[in-house]
Amino acid sequence: MIEVQGLTKRFDELVAVDDVSFGVDAGQVFGLLGPNGAGKTTTLRVLATLLRADDGRATIAGHDVQREPEAVRRAIGVVNGGMGLYDRLTGREVLHYFGELYGMRRAAIERRVEELDGLLDLAGTLDKRTGAFSTGMKQKIVVARAVLHDPQVLFFDEATSGLDVMARRAVLDFSRRYPGETRAVVWSTHVMSEVEELCDRVAVLYRGRVVADDTVAGLKEAADAPDLEQAFFTLVRRSGLAQGQEVAA
Amino acid sequence: MRWSFVRRIAAKEILSTLRDHRAIVSNLIIPLLLLPVIMLGLPLLLGGLFQREATTVTELAVQGVEHLPSDLAAAIEAQAAVLVAVDDAEAAVRGDDYPAGLIVAPGFEDAIVAGGSAEVVIVVKEANLRAELNAGKLRSAVDAYRRGVVAERLVDAGIDPAVLEPVAVVTRDASTEAERSSGQLAWLIPFFIAIWTLTGGQMTAIDATAGEKERGTLEVLLVTPVRRGEVVFGKFLAVVTFGLSAAIMAIVGFVLGGTVLRRLFLPLIGEQGGEMAAMMGGSLTITPTTIALLVISSVLMAAVVAALLMSVTLFARSFKEAQTYVAPMSFLLIVPAIALQFKDLIGTGAFAYWIPVYNVMILMDDAVKGTARLSPILTTWGVMAALIAALLAFAYLNFKREDVLFRT
Repeated sequence: MIEVQGLTKRFDELVAVDDVSFGVDAGQVFGLLGPNGAGKTTTLRVLATLLRADDGRATIAGHDVQREPEAVRRAIGVVNGGMGLYDRLTGREVLHYFGELYGMRRAAIERRVEELDGLLDLAGTLDKRTGAFSTGMKQKIVVARAVLHDPQVLFFDEATSGLDVMARRAVLDFSRRYPGETRAVVWSTHVMSEVEELCDRVAVLYRGRVVADDTVAGLKEAADAPDLEQAFFTLVRRSGLAQGQEVAA
Repeated sequence: MRWSFVRRIAAKEILSTLRDHRAIVSNLIIPLLLLPVIMLGLPLLLGGLFQREATTVTELAVQGVEHLPSDLAAAIEAQAAVLVAVDDAEAAVRGDDYPAGLIVAPGFEDAIVAGGSAEVVIVVKEANLRAELNAGKLRSAVDAYRRGVVAERLVDAGIDPAVLEPVAVVTRDASTEAERSSGQLAWLIPFFIAIWTLTGGQMTAIDATAGEKERGTLEVLLVTPVRRGEVVFGKFLAVVTFGLSAAIMAIVGFVLGGTVLRRLFLPLIGEQGGEMAAMMGGSLTITPTTIALLVISSVLMAAVVAALLMSVTLFARSFKEAQTYVAPMSFLLIVPAIALQFKDLIGTGAFAYWIPVYNVMILMDDAVKGTARLSPILTTWGVMAALIAALLAFAYLNFKREDVLFRT
């Protein structure tokens, strides 16, 4: 579903993403795990066609992100932690706006909104302006907006940041169910427990590079660590990329 | 470019702005009211005050009233004034006991009767408008008395008083009716229309660019299949709509001020108020051609301002930062408006219509004066269209720049 090979992105002197490669199959939740500044968001932005890679290649659902950006954008949905919505529009108006930008007709959008109401419990969010929403209500519309056009690949970028426990649980459960057999989820986070719970495979990113790519169990085994957090620090230390920085044992 | 996407983007921005009550007040109500208030409200207020001051009987201080000739006293009293004898007129005026005063030296009347000359002193606080109006009464009275004395002496000497004016000077106004009625301050009209295109469009522009960045919605918008050009043009149309709506409301206010309200209020504002209203363009003759030229020029002005706003505000990280970028933009409109005020001195040759923004302002000024000609109109519209295209291209390129979009 996703193929990434040698992806590199520079901002002047800074190499934000450095020769990153990984693959995601249909049916998988794939984790991008790393601290702030590891290159997770930049990688996702390149995959989402927002940034142009300086080197390397990536395809999503068979479409090259550089050469077929519109086809890629039709195939993806993005949920980020910002939970940005248009304060003066209602939840339904937000969904219609984005639905129309995905080329959907009004009737199709309404049908999809009803479907998503069943999955995400949108009651109370559809006909109220989003400026009056709680964080949990906002996140429901943000998720609904991202999956409105039923994308094959769904990116979550620090999607639970700032959420209360109930809203966080709803997002985690939804993303676990979303792939089914034909779709994929990329879950980008620095929270180890989320990766342990959700992800079928994980790429550990540090300073723009992939230092390991395996299942959670495989990472623990490779690092000979009892949990993912310990495994993460061991793998980062072994990579040699942490020189000059203190990395906990 | 797919127009359905452009329309969708524009419609969302328009709906979002319309739901902000501040936008309704600043885009529709204030522009509608401001020009009539300036064109007629100010003259209505000041004209009424002038009228009142001219007709109200005022007490004026006179030092040496016993030396005042009865003719001069009568001339002063004819100016709606009552003379009050005081010991020190200057102290009385300084202490604000009287708005103006007169000092008549001993022997004044004797000197005049003897055919000599004498001096009277008018005392006034020159920085005080009311005092100046009352000092004017004294000046008029003294001048009338002086002319009377001169005429009397000439007659006594067997000379026709007309000998003092061997050359009669007559000034004939060669301006057209439209030019005459446009007033000396008619340059305010293009200035206000230009300023409203900025004020009306800026809230939408900032919300649609820096606001989207700040909320984190721009990124989500750009991962939909909509193209950057469609986003830029859709947002641009929304900004133009609000800039133009404010300008149109200003034109409606101007038409109202120049026609309906003028008819209603001109009798109330007195002669001086009427002169002031005319000076501010409150007596304009407005034809359908004038309105059409103003509307088309406003569209071009709104489009230039909108494209500029889009380019500038996208650089900002936040709504607040964008506001600081927009504030200096008003100077881009104020400077040509100031130049317009002095256009008779600067000159309005063909070159002037090649200077963007300034050219539209001159054209608007020409329109209200009924002096617009085809060649300058076409030059102005062509220059402005080229500028709009260039600014839109710049905004589009900015929307494609990663360092601008993700400058957070």
